[in-house]
Amino acid sequence: MNMNEEESGDGRERSIQVRFVTKLSAPFKVPTTAIAIPADIARLGLSSLVNALLQSNDPDFQPEPFDFLIDGEYVRMSLEEFLLAKGISAERILEIEYTRVVAPRKEEDPSLHDDWVSAVDGSSSRFFLTGCYDGLGRVWKGAGLCTHILEGHSDALTSVSVINPEGLETVTVATASKDRTLRLWKINTEEHVNHPMRVRAYKILCGHKSSVQSVAVQTSGEMVCSASWDCTINLWQTNDFNGEDDLVSKKRKIGGQVEESQLEGEAFTTLVGHTQCVSSVVWPQRESIYSASWDHSIRKWDVETGKNLTDIFCGKVLNCLDIGGEGSSLIAAGGSDPVIRIWDPRKPGTSAPVFQFASHTSWISACKWHDQSWFHLLSASYDGKVMLWDLRTAWPLSVIESHTDKVLSADWWKSDSVISGGADSKLCVSSEIPVR
Amino acid sequence: MKEKKKTMTKNDDEEVPFPPENLPSPSVSDYEDSSAHDGESSDSLDSQSESEFEDGSPDNGSSGDLESAENESSQDEDIVNDGDGGNESSDIHQDGAESDSSEDEVAPRNTIGDVPLKWYEDEPHIGYDIKGKKIKKKEKQDKLDSFLANVDDSKNWRKIYDEYNDEEIQLTKDEVKLVRRLLKNRAPHSDFDPYQDSVDWFKWEDAKHPLSNAPEPKRRFIPSKWEARKVVQYVRAIRKGLITFDKPKEEDGPYHLWGDDSGSTEKANHLSYIPAPKQKLPGHDESYNPPLEYIPTQEEINSYQLMFEEDRPKFIPKRFTSMRSIPAYENAMKDCFERCLDLYLCPRVRKKRLNIDPESLKPKLPSRKELKPYPITCYIEYKGHEDAVTSISVEASGQWMASGSSDGTVRVWEVETGRCLRQWEVGEAVNCVAWNPLPDIHILAVSVGQDVLLLNTCLGDEEEQKRIKELLWVDSSTASDDSGNKAPTVSWLKDDKHMGLRLRHFKTVTAVEWHRKGDYFSTVMPADILFESVLIHQLSKKLTQKLPFKLHGLAVRSTFHPSRSIFFVCTKKSVRVYDLLKTKLIKKLDTGLREASSIAVHPGGDNLIVGSKEGKMCWFDMELSSKPYKIIKCSPVDINNVIFHRSYPLFASCSDNCTAYVFHGMVYSDLNQNPLIVPLEFLRGHTSSNGRGILDCKFHPRQPWLFTAGADKLIKLYCH
Repeated sequence: MNMNEEESGDGRERSIQVRFVTKLSAPFKVPTTAIAIPADIARLGLSSLVNALLQSNDPDFQPEPFDFLIDGEYVRMSLEEFLLAKGISAERILEIEYTRVVAPRKEEDPSLHDDWVSAVDGSSSRFFLTGCYDGLGRVWKGAGLCTHILEGHSDALTSVSVINPEGLETVTVATASKDRTLRLWKINTEEHVNHPMRVRAYKILCGHKSSVQSVAVQTSGEMVCSASWDCTINLWQTNDFNGEDDLVSKKRKIGGQVEESQLEGEAFTTLVGHTQCVSSVVWPQRESIYSASWDHSIRKWDVETGKNLTDIFCGKVLNCLDIGGEGSSLIAAGGSDPVIRIWDPRKPGTSAPVFQFASHTSWISACKWHDQSWFHLLSASYDGKVMLWDLRTAWPLSVIESHTDKVLSADWWKSDSVISGGADSKLCVSSEIPVR
Repeated sequence: MKEKKKTMTKNDDEEVPFPPENLPSPSVSDYEDSSAHDGESSDSLDSQSESEFEDGSPDNGSSGDLESAENESSQDEDIVNDGDGGNESSDIHQDGAESDSSEDEVAPRNTIGDVPLKWYEDEPHIGYDIKGKKIKKKEKQDKLDSFLANVDDSKNWRKIYDEYNDEEIQLTKDEVKLVRRLLKNRAPHSDFDPYQDSVDWFKWEDAKHPLSNAPEPKRRFIPSKWEARKVVQYVRAIRKGLITFDKPKEEDGPYHLWGDDSGSTEKANHLSYIPAPKQKLPGHDESYNPPLEYIPTQEEINSYQLMFEEDRPKFIPKRFTSMRSIPAYENAMKDCFERCLDLYLCPRVRKKRLNIDPESLKPKLPSRKELKPYPITCYIEYKGHEDAVTSISVEASGQWMASGSSDGTVRVWEVETGRCLRQWEVGEAVNCVAWNPLPDIHILAVSVGQDVLLLNTCLGDEEEQKRIKELLWVDSSTASDDSGNKAPTVSWLKDDKHMGLRLRHFKTVTAVEWHRKGDYFSTVMPADILFESVLIHQLSKKLTQKLPFKLHGLAVRSTFHPSRSIFFVCTKKSVRVYDLLKTKLIKKLDTGLREASSIAVHPGGDNLIVGSKEGKMCWFDMELSSKPYKIIKCSPVDINNVIFHRSYPLFASCSDNCTAYVFHGMVYSDLNQNPLIVPLEFLRGHTSSNGRGILDCKFHPRQPWLFTAGADKLIKLYCH
């Protein structure tokens, strides 16, 4: 009888010795003693278990969802299946690391625009920028709190970028537009205004023959580069002094009132090599620019010589590109198919991507690495979803479905929020995402 | 070997002491002994010569005796010769007769045959006569007596002892003569003359046809050259295989007597015997009185009932005490007869089985994976039109796309995002839109009813806009002059509402097609049978020309050659190819279709496809023939448009059953290699509206993407 009982007990549930560890700070720490838990427990069970442990220590603890890592991989099935799939012995004490679930805890009210929101930039912690199809750029202090309106483009904005995000009083901003120009703006973010202030560009950068698709800023902020439909990448100076002889000052008269002068700048270098529309550029280091193009290639350019250093061919049209991750060297790109591909250029023979994430159902319109985590990145797609990814699992960590139409742009903001703009003219801010 | 030899020699050395006489077989030695013995036994001391005769070996030692004998004989001869020759001969005859008769007379002749006489040495008889009686040995004479007898007898030297018959024979004179002659190596008979004179039996002198006395020709003694040549010929022919030898007839090997006859099918055209199919031979089960173990028990029979119908055994063995009690016995004879009738009368046909794998008959096509990229899935939809989208056109760079709809609007879309950039209300249903192929001239040609509108899309920078505006400016006075001078086929008017030009035709324009240089464009008016239905317009000079050819049939579409000054007009039944510079008809391509609907030219210029209203698509290789190279049945209903990709080896058709069909169409620069056509993908997704499906499809100029315009108000972009 005893034997039978033991056997049946074995068949029903096997138990595994586990120890919970975490890198989280004080309120989320559990005692590191090993405990036995049933093997068929999944993520939800583990999470409630940890919450129960925490509550037993601290009765005031608010329940919190957790994610669990075993040997650097997220648990997305029952513990038993996971161990079986990974070939981990269930005999020894299993160390399970837990983190807070990377998902937005809060959805701000969407800020409505007049037209499609085509570009967002959240590189400054004090504000974020949006570009819109009505030709206006906007500066927002937070969701629904617009402080400045950047006025002057005659066609839809395609890309916005903050040049010196931590500038003290005035912040310089670059915008790219389909009217074949880029404009540079200076805004004073400290001013308190009741209604949005209209700002004019201090410098207009002309030279592209077709619509400008993307703008990226050098790390020092002295230069910007832009990618365009005319297959070129132009490099521009951002300084605003009037020293160069090719600068033309213009007086504008609007309503009989003379406004301040606007400078016109010309590109000082053009990088030629792409055969089709260059859709995205990033400038992660001082000396190199990465560009993605519709000719299916990602190229790395040397800024000093203007030479093309490396090519990665992907086979699909590329729309977005970002550099980040481990050592700021992984290349993430998405394009005309629902797959985010991540290349590691440090590996020899980098033609094959090291990671591929394919949970979207339509074109990828944006992908951004988290600036502090090596593992996290977000992606936006025409299927109306923004997804948060971790390199340690093939499934998205969370899916933000606040948009009702194509998501055209998305970015991290303040390293715990995601801002995204879409074809439903909405700007959505999802905040309180506990990355790290 | 050497060692062996050595041993051999050693042996020889050792064996030297043994006399070699011992080697012969004992029987021979016996015989010799016997002969020696005979010699001894018959040793009449005097008659050495006799012994010499017997041995037959002339000895030097006995030569003197011989001579004496000879002398005697010669004396005899002389005596004879003295007498009459005839006497001589008669004497001889007599002697011979005597001897013969004597031989005959001698009654007891030994019949023991050729056996060693030694066997009878100790017997009282020497053998048997012909009647089987023993022949007694004669009593041997005492040696002295015989000697005395011999001395007395003068003819003693003629006597020979015949040991076989145990008698003494006296040789006659003639016989002695014969012997002597033989000893002298002369012919035995003295009357034979070996050196007689030759006698000419024929008279040579007067004969008309003399018998040739010519010496034998030399050729009869030497090998024939002709024969040698013939042999060489034959040998060569055999080596070359010209002469074949009949193979030795194979004997019938063992064959399977009870084997299946059907295996040995003769390949004959005549009616051949077809054996009846063999039935399975009955086993123990089928016996009328099977052993008990074959009979299923009641339980087993019950279990059969529970089994699935097909698994149930067909025959259940049963036991009967005798053949008569079998139920079938009553009808056995009849059944047998009918079976025989069946076998006899049933017409049997030998089934000719073609062992061809149907898969092997399919042409070998490369797999679709190797032919990537090609459009597969729809990712972007362009929504906005309020009625069926009839026509689309993609700008040369691939950034924008224009569409015309039955709701009377023309829209320009951003390809990347699906955003509608501009919209024109043209009032009437749009038949066709066509973007100028030059990348810096953003002019859209739109056919609306009887008009063709040239619209400025306001894309491009200031300089480009200036050029476009110049192009689209027309002096109304000159236009009216033009129309006044000639038969007013088309009038160029200014359209202020849309900031463009309006070309007024007399009939409904269904198709507009630009020349590759962006200056000329052609319009087609299918309804115009009386007048020229195809017109070519020049944008820079605002001129309209008629096609200087007579068309046979109703024009449907027209298109320009992608690189040369060649113009294609597609009529309902055929495609006509004109050279515009030389103004002559180059070719007429016979489609064999009921009603063609669309035409597309390969960017290489030598291949074109024609889509038809019956759902067929014809691929023409103009270098090959004027008949279609391939006819592809794409859809059960109308094909609305066919299109080639400009850079990828792709072509597509769209039809009213809401599918677009994408093909791989590789044209090789090698003229010997025919184009490779591989069907790739059905693109579905549109819904039918008023019985119409996809009305137009266009490839993206630089990506392997396909735009489809549906009657369901949508435009879809299929990406790779």
